[in-house]
Amino acid sequence: MSALIIDDEIVHYEVLGRGRPLIFVHGWVGSWRYWIPTMQAASISFRAYALDLWGFGETSKAKSRYSLNDYVTLLDHFLEEMGIAKIALVGHGLGAVVALMYASKFPRFVDRLMIVGFPMNKSQLSARLQSDPPTELEKWLLTGATIPEIARLETAKTDNQAIINTINNLDTVDLHSLAAELQHPCLLVHGQNDQAIFMPNGELMENLPDLSHMIVFEESGHYPMLTETNKFNRLLSDFLALESGKSPSELQLKEEWKRRVR
Amino acid sequence: MAKILIAEDERDIRDLITFTLRFAGHDVTAASNGAEAVEQVEKVMPDLIMLDVRMPKMSGYEACEQIKSQEATKHIPVVFLSAKGQDAEVRAGMEVGATDYILKPFAPDKLTERVSEILKKYNKS
Repeated sequence: MSALIIDDEIVHYEVLGRGRPLIFVHGWVGSWRYWIPTMQAASISFRAYALDLWGFGETSKAKSRYSLNDYVTLLDHFLEEMGIAKIALVGHGLGAVVALMYASKFPRFVDRLMIVGFPMNKSQLSARLQSDPPTELEKWLLTGATIPEIARLETAKTDNQAIINTINNLDTVDLHSLAAELQHPCLLVHGQNDQAIFMPNGELMENLPDLSHMIVFEESGHYPMLTETNKFNRLLSDFLALESGKSPSELQLKEEWKRRVR
Repeated sequence: MAKILIAEDERDIRDLITFTLRFAGHDVTAASNGAEAVEQVEKVMPDLIMLDVRMPKMSGYEACEQIKSQEATKHIPVVFLSAKGQDAEVRAGMEVGATDYILKPFAPDKLTERVSEILKKYNKS
């Protein structure tokens, strides 16, 4: 286990591969672990980092820091401690919100971002995210899905309050405006059958900048990275291969692809 | 959970194998060549040893031979990580006591499955 002390508390992270930095931020239901298959695939060309946010996984249950701004600060301090500057950011759910807020606040440190299951506002979230215990959310969101044992969600380690507080906190942030004003190439990904974070409607998708592009995984729910792993990894690889500053608008889902070790 | 010793000279592959097996719940010790693996084996006393076939300082074949010649370590299953075209080395390794081999390239999830099968076969899981 790799850990850092940030603001006097333990922050757990894992890292794999060599190359340009790529940062993964998990969502409301889970921890860094469900990024493992994606990190394995990305590690051939990138140095892939994944961290646990306050109250999740092995990171401290720092109850006074369960706000979106605290998570943005955590990400900033993490990158500073690791000496990382220009990053590609991949966030899911809560992590997508944090990634977008971070890119808006520190645009010079971000090269591009991929936001998966991104809610434009609180009404896009199922009420169950705040009412059900994390372990029940895991069962609900993974019903019928077969995921690798290695990528288990570790929801038993989540402090429920971190979920509740950050969802309440969404009322204080105008994510739609942040997304509309974003200056980075941004790939939005959504599982069509996501029951936790509903698909954004056309109205919400209007006014997105030319550098943003949306791709829907038609056979996925909340975790396209786990249920359509090979397609997801291929899409991420194609996105990361784009020239810096180029729109991902021409990207599309391609046939399954599997990274292999030599 | 099993204790696994791996020896692989290519850092990227070594890191990926270590990462994959570690987060599959195993206790992994990594060596960068055969000599290091031989040095580590008596300290760690792993449940499984995975050796790349071609490595600097000491090849997988030589390391296997040494491990199998020691009373304390000869019972530990040894698996070769081999690339296509290394059949002769693999065959030689089997002759000095290696029990199985995993062909490279491999996908990480397949590696985990294969290691589980091997551990089960030798009642080490």
